[in-house]
Amino acid sequence: MTDRFDFGAYWSNLTNAEKRLTMALSVLVFGLVIALLTGALGASYFLFLFGLAGMYALLSLGLNSQWGFTGLINFSVAAFFGIGAYGAALMTGSNSPIAGGFNPIFGLAIGLVLAAIVAVAIGIPTLRLRADYLAIATLGLAEVLRLVLQNERQWTNGSAGIRGIPSFFDGWPLLGEFPQSMPGLEIAIVPGSPVVLGTPFWRQLLNVTLLLGFLGAAFLILRRAQRSPWGRLQRTIRADEDLAKALGKNTYSYKMQAFVLGSLIMALAGVFYAHLNLFVNPGDLDPITTFYVWVAVILGGSGSNRGALLGGFVVVAIREGSRFANDISWLPLDAAPLRLLMIGLLIILVMRFRPQGILPPQRELIWPSAIGREAPSRPDRGVPQSNGGETDE
Amino acid sequence: MSVIEFAANGVVYSSIIVLGSIGLAIIYSIAGFANFAHGDTMTVGGYAAFIAFGAIGGLGTTVLALPVGFFVAVLVGIAVAAVVAIITEKIVYEPLDIGSIGLLITSIGVAFVYRALIQLGFGAGRNQFDIPAQRPIEELIAYGVRVTPHDLAIVISALVLVVGVHVLLQYTDLGRKMRAMADNPDLARASGIRTHRIKLWSWVLGAGLAGAGGAFLGLYNALTPRVGFSVLLVIFAAVILGGIGSVYGAMLGGFLIGMVVEMTPLLSRVGIPIGVDYGPAVAFVIMVVVLLVRPTGIAGDGTAGGEGI
Repeated sequence: MTDRFDFGAYWSNLTNAEKRLTMALSVLVFGLVIALLTGALGASYFLFLFGLAGMYALLSLGLNSQWGFTGLINFSVAAFFGIGAYGAALMTGSNSPIAGGFNPIFGLAIGLVLAAIVAVAIGIPTLRLRADYLAIATLGLAEVLRLVLQNERQWTNGSAGIRGIPSFFDGWPLLGEFPQSMPGLEIAIVPGSPVVLGTPFWRQLLNVTLLLGFLGAAFLILRRAQRSPWGRLQRTIRADEDLAKALGKNTYSYKMQAFVLGSLIMALAGVFYAHLNLFVNPGDLDPITTFYVWVAVILGGSGSNRGALLGGFVVVAIREGSRFANDISWLPLDAAPLRLLMIGLLIILVMRFRPQGILPPQRELIWPSAIGREAPSRPDRGVPQSNGGETDE
Repeated sequence: MSVIEFAANGVVYSSIIVLGSIGLAIIYSIAGFANFAHGDTMTVGGYAAFIAFGAIGGLGTTVLALPVGFFVAVLVGIAVAAVVAIITEKIVYEPLDIGSIGLLITSIGVAFVYRALIQLGFGAGRNQFDIPAQRPIEELIAYGVRVTPHDLAIVISALVLVVGVHVLLQYTDLGRKMRAMADNPDLARASGIRTHRIKLWSWVLGAGLAGAGGAFLGLYNALTPRVGFSVLLVIFAAVILGGIGSVYGAMLGGFLIGMVVEMTPLLSRVGIPIGVDYGPAVAFVIMVVVLLVRPTGIAGDGTAGGEGI
């Protein structure tokens, strides 16, 4: 990085994948702006989708700090997401069987504390296990948690779920009244189809602000953590746990720290989801949520935080894009299996053709395979490319 | 319900779980990864048998209140599951150059593709074999056991298949080669065994057993696109309990875990208020406890890498 921002130098510094992606994203953003201005895409719906994508990005960041950096195969993403969502919902929801009506800030606190406790409880028996056992055990424990939420009606309302969750900023001074007090705007750029910005828009804008706050905090904390000696040790554990042990490190304790950190970020995503969707039920903990996040991480590039952000947006594109399959009447296709098919094919294709992901970490030599196995694609810089994210043990 | 009645149900459910577990253990020990698509392979076999039975219908006489056509349909289910597994191995797994964890993640993608295609073809609803439900066998009710002739057919068929696997592994050339390869693939290859071909046969065997299990799952309850995935975790629990990669361990683990799932409601009689919904959860907690105490499972040999069949 140069001190002064020099676009030309920055551009030539990017890898081919990064250049192609930047151009593709530019086209996409341009298209979205056009769609927004012409009213083809509702502004508040767009913000809702943006919130959802950011939520997946947050989940991916959490998983990335477990899998991408420490090599923990955690298949209980949905469980921690659910703990965050239920923690927030049980404290604030109007039909909560335990303690509804509290300020959302208490829900946030409860969600995070619960997630930390459960992470330690799941981590104690599973983190000593071999990689594939860990995958099975975490998936199973996530299912146990879902069964509990579904069957213990006296605490969770069972499959009826919890409704009446307020927005996160309800009851706050100034911000609580913000969506109602903002004026409705009509912007007519294309004559005949004005873009309407009313209360729903301002509410979603507030949600997105909250999300950006969560996302920014998580991103900065993770970047700081991963550049510290602590993060270096995590990468050593991923690359060669025996080496880390030989250096006298208590790898179990470090793995537990990474597991709890990642789980807290997942729970944060859950808290946000509860206040975005205003309704939670045990279906939100379906294993498919876990695999969406896995797709996001391996697609973006294991170990790459930028990749995790990108993956989150792609997942929402698939999730929401497949809804339109229902609208195409001449296609005898149903959205749910179509979505499943696309996710499945995406996993297979990424593992087959680009196991390191679209945006693998570029400037860190963190995997043993990063050195020498593959010829550097940009020999002029003299630094071998990391082909990280290789998923051998 | 009496204890013996729960146990009888457990035996029936165990028969199905055992079929799934053996297949998963074979694939784990030969192909070398935890195959998350195994449950959905069962679904594939179940739906193939469903179509086959619809086509040939009530062929011939009846055995145990089941038309002979049903058993033919099960064979079709076995064959289709095996063919699908071979195609998947050729198209998806074989070209991959990644470790066991990469294969594990890929198999999740495969599972989704199977399930999505089935759901696109048959919808998300329930499908049942067009066979009238049976009343429990009169002679056994006197002993407090309520099992239908269909349940009996499942248990006997599973028994036949399990014995078949045992004979195949112990007394045939293919079985000997498979055991050698499970023990040490490099040594097997060096001794002139065509390990690639053995790997394909292990897919045929493992997926075929899964296909049979799926067909019986359809007879036991009903077929839905999720039916295989819903038993996948129970099967994993069984295989890990027995010692992952060990076929005889998988038989024992499958039997024990199946019994545990069906007998879970008995816990409420000793003061632990747990309903039948928690059957899989109890199986799972048992698995985690076993992993803590004995990470190699009941029949595991304790070595880290090469598990024998």
